Amino acid sequence: MLRITGGTIYDPANGVDGVVRDVCIAAGKVVADVEGGRTIDATGTIVLPGGVDVHTHVAGGALNFARGLMPEKQRVARKFLRTADRRGGLGGLTPTTFATGYLYAGMGWTTVNEAAVPVLSAKHTHEELRDTPIVDKSCLLLLANNEILLDLLEAGEVERARDVVGWLLWAAKVYGVKAVNPGGVAAWKWGKNASVMHEPVEGYEKLTPAMIVSGLARLVDELGLPHPMHLHCNNLGNPGNVATTIETMQALEGRRAHLAHLQFHAYGGENWSTMRSGAAEIVEAFERHPNLTADAGAVLFGDAVTVTADGPWQHMLHQLTGHKWGNLDVENETGCGIVPYVYRDRHVVNAVQWAVGLELLLLTKDPWRMFLTTDHPNGGGFWRYPEIIQLLMDAEFRRAQVRRLPEAAQSRIVLGEIDREYSVYEVAIITAAGPARALGLTRKGHLGVGADADVAIYPSKPDADGRLFTYPRYVVKGGEIVVEEGEIRQVVDGREYVVRPAFDAAIEEYLRPVFQKLYTISFDNYAVEPERVRDAEIRDLPEPS
Amino acid sequence: MIRLVLREPLPVPLEAEVLSPDVMATLAHDAIRALPVFLGKHRRRVDDCFRVEGEKSDEVTIEGDASRVKWIGRGMSRGRLTIAGNAGMHLGAYMSGGAIEVSGDTGDWLGAEMSGGLIRVRGNAGGQVGAAYRGSPKGMTDGTIVIDGTAGLEVGMRMKRGTIAVGGQVRDFAGLQMLGGTIVLRAGAELRTGAWMMRGTIVSLEPIPMLPTFAPAAEYNPTFMRLVARHLSRLGHRVPAAEAEGAYLRYTGDAAVPGKGEILVWRPR
Amino acid sequence: MSLTRRGVHIVDTFAEAFGMRAARVVITAATPEWARTAALATTGFATSVIGCKVEAGIEAELSPEQTPDGRPGIQTLFFAFDAEGLATRLVERVGQTVLTCATTACFDGLPDASERVVVGGQVRHFGDRYQASKVVDGRRYWRIPVMEGEFLVEESFGVQKGIGGGNFLILGATQAAALEAAEAAVDVMRPVPGVVLPFPGGIVRSGSKVGARRYKNMIASTNDVYCPTLRGRPGVESLVPEGANCVYEVVVNGLDRASIATALRAGIDAACRPGVVEISAGNYGGKLGKHHFRLHDLLA
Repeated sequence: MLRITGGTIYDPANGVDGVVRDVCIAAGKVVADVEGGRTIDATGTIVLPGGVDVHTHVAGGALNFARGLMPEKQRVARKFLRTADRRGGLGGLTPTTFATGYLYAGMGWTTVNEAAVPVLSAKHTHEELRDTPIVDKSCLLLLANNEILLDLLEAGEVERARDVVGWLLWAAKVYGVKAVNPGGVAAWKWGKNASVMHEPVEGYEKLTPAMIVSGLARLVDELGLPHPMHLHCNNLGNPGNVATTIETMQALEGRRAHLAHLQFHAYGGENWSTMRSGAAEIVEAFERHPNLTADAGAVLFGDAVTVTADGPWQHMLHQLTGHKWGNLDVENETGCGIVPYVYRDRHVVNAVQWAVGLELLLLTKDPWRMFLTTDHPNGGGFWRYPEIIQLLMDAEFRRAQVRRLPEAAQSRIVLGEIDREYSVYEVAIITAAGPARALGLTRKGHLGVGADADVAIYPSKPDADGRLFTYPRYVVKGGEIVVEEGEIRQVVDGREYVVRPAFDAAIEEYLRPVFQKLYTISFDNYAVEPERVRDAEIRDLPEPS
Repeated sequence: MIRLVLREPLPVPLEAEVLSPDVMATLAHDAIRALPVFLGKHRRRVDDCFRVEGEKSDEVTIEGDASRVKWIGRGMSRGRLTIAGNAGMHLGAYMSGGAIEVSGDTGDWLGAEMSGGLIRVRGNAGGQVGAAYRGSPKGMTDGTIVIDGTAGLEVGMRMKRGTIAVGGQVRDFAGLQMLGGTIVLRAGAELRTGAWMMRGTIVSLEPIPMLPTFAPAAEYNPTFMRLVARHLSRLGHRVPAAEAEGAYLRYTGDAAVPGKGEILVWRPR
Repeated sequence: MSLTRRGVHIVDTFAEAFGMRAARVVITAATPEWARTAALATTGFATSVIGCKVEAGIEAELSPEQTPDGRPGIQTLFFAFDAEGLATRLVERVGQTVLTCATTACFDGLPDASERVVVGGQVRHFGDRYQASKVVDGRRYWRIPVMEGEFLVEESFGVQKGIGGGNFLILGATQAAALEAAEAAVDVMRPVPGVVLPFPGGIVRSGSKVGARRYKNMIASTNDVYCPTLRGRPGVESLVPEGANCVYEVVVNGLDRASIATALRAGIDAACRPGVVEISAGNYGGKLGKHHFRLHDLLA
């Protein structure tokens, strides 16, 4: 039992905007009142729902491949030494599992959505998530290049496709659907890409990326998944991809979708030397499509590691930069590419990229639709979110940073002209309330009665660098105080959110022979056994509509 | 001068990056004795393992068979480190200045990723001399390493600049993925010398098996070899260069990359 | 106060010399002859910055023990008004006369100078991307593939302060006597370390004055007051004394005051011989150059 008293509460989901009042916690939930137990004196603090990271890469095959690709980074990474109650680990941009949990909790983030899981290696993801302490987790299944599914979409076999998607979701024990460069990663197996929405994908006669986008979005809606199709659009990273992104929005034809790391998909210009921000155009189109949410995928200057299923884009980045490159093929399903990268403030393209993420957050009027992420570790480490928040909240500071950019970059962005400043209330929306709502996690992202007691308590005064949110005084997870005065005090286990869609079990008779013909493993070893997912909270979905 | 004498043979490796002029130059005797070292996984004091004499000097001598002592001289930038005996792995790794002299043998990773300074080994060295650690884009970026005896695998792997000279034969993959610099092999090498070479110079005074992706170009007496010869003669390594004695047959490669490196093989007259 | 040496009148005046930037270039080759051939070509047409943009000369011959690559060599000095100009001239000259000359290599003679200019780093482009960098013992060189084999040239050359235009005038009774005196002076000045004599044979037969009386826009013209045939001409306030019929100028550039002073002292002394009436020096009233060498102080 816990009472948090004297803090200034920000709970946008319940309309609480900076009110000093108590938050009472019992049995891991927020309650109306509590007697006994500990009292935290939260005077001089702001109190927010624990952060919800709607798009991050922290566990599984791709991330572990990235860890292995960069031993030189591990040698200099922050060391988490083992203690009586904390396991050892390494920090850096690809933190090891235990370190990931400590780092997120140490910032006041309590729910994490692992954005890209292949079915084939989902067991690996779940094992790593099991070793990611404190935070609650969900994960998204990569489906937009699953060739069994694509074959069915090409053939127009929608119902069978839906049952396959349902079966795959349950087999992988995941929470939602991820689509990465639809058709493009399948084409990469032929050394090609799929950047044109209405051109058939390599190896297919009719199936286009647009058809995969609309087809999969429809299946997600029919299966009643709490989180919409989570979409990494085609043509990521290329100058002029604003057009592709807008075509994608149109291809959805009003269906729900969440657009991932939208910054990478908001570039104008024709080539690298004319590349400029397309954020204004994207926001204008985004606001005309109310069925969409997005996360910013903002970049920060400094080190990053690009980890993505978008194999062809990563090969391109390797050729552009000469940096080392790792590429994985995941049989019939997807792939991944890893390239270490550095965003430099003297580099005109990087300067534009830095501005675009911020422009998306500042130009989108409704904070309930555009969330804070860096597509960790692609745009920068997640522990740097407070730097982005500072840029959103302090227009003068932001303008000073814009003035330091290269001349050539300044004429390609509009960031310097934007006066808007985020309030703490709005920050609570883009870091917690909004993502929780988009993920369909009704007990997350708010502090109303019945919510999970995940609370982050920060000093109300900025630190020496002018930032809020860098140093939580307390972090409460499921009612337990896990962080006190910036230090991990207690380690609890988080749970994993899993959906169980309704599908025709007989689909297995279709899948088994197809699978056995195409895959290298036995079909019986494919699905993730329920025991492998620790503390799973399974949500049964209704019959398809 | 500071003198460290190993008390008794070490049962397990000792990690001792504190054994460096940079660390000891300003320390008093007691402070040196109290410096931390790791014997296996246990933290110990320097004087648990060494008898210590002297203080506050950037001339440090180590006596005894230190073949299990790792990381001696790590990152040093000044002074003189003399090892009367053998030394373990990672000797002089990351060093940027100063000089190390070893009378015996050293382990692997001698001078790995160093950026300056001088290392002289009278005995034999292990593998990965002046090399990049796994994953690092480049190995040594300057400095000089001379080894009187033999060396092991991957000598100068991914080195970018600097000079390595080895008096005895080296094993496979000398100059692997070399990015620049000069390796002089006075007694030749085993297999696959220069594999994946991008730039740089490998000089062999003995004929060596050549990868098929290295093409012979010309026989000549490049002037720069006289500079290399003079630099190395001051360190006790004689390298021929004059027309009267012979010439170098130049091979360019590694065409598999394609690389702009070269292997110069001495042809005596 | 009047001063004579061996009967030669030493005018109480001063030579006015200029602060310049200097570089030292060491050219080596397979034989001393080839090194000299290159050095003469490189330092040719380098008498005055006015028309040649650089002033240069041979400083010393070097034995194999004294050169970076252990081969015979020649040490040369170059002078210009600024480091940038010096760099451009060195790139031109090394590229046209050292690169092209058989068996040569080219090294920096001021390796400890903190101010540096890029020379080999420019000449290397002749290699059309086939060139290769080589760092030996902390110094960077370029190896440029050429038909002969390889041309080795150092990447950067040191630049330091230098002095140009140290001088004295020999006013002799006859042309033959004046020239003999000038040649004798040059013979003892050449071996002095740190100096070069940029003019042909070290001697200027046509000393100049700033500007011109009769032509507009001329930078320099004949020094009429020292032209013997113009003595007595209306408008010429001749400085050629009674008994003198020919004037030669010896010009010396050097790395510092001390070396120029040593050279001037030795040269003037050697020039004080029968047939020489007077020793004087050229200056501009002290208004242009900041380095003044008073003849009386030199011989004191």
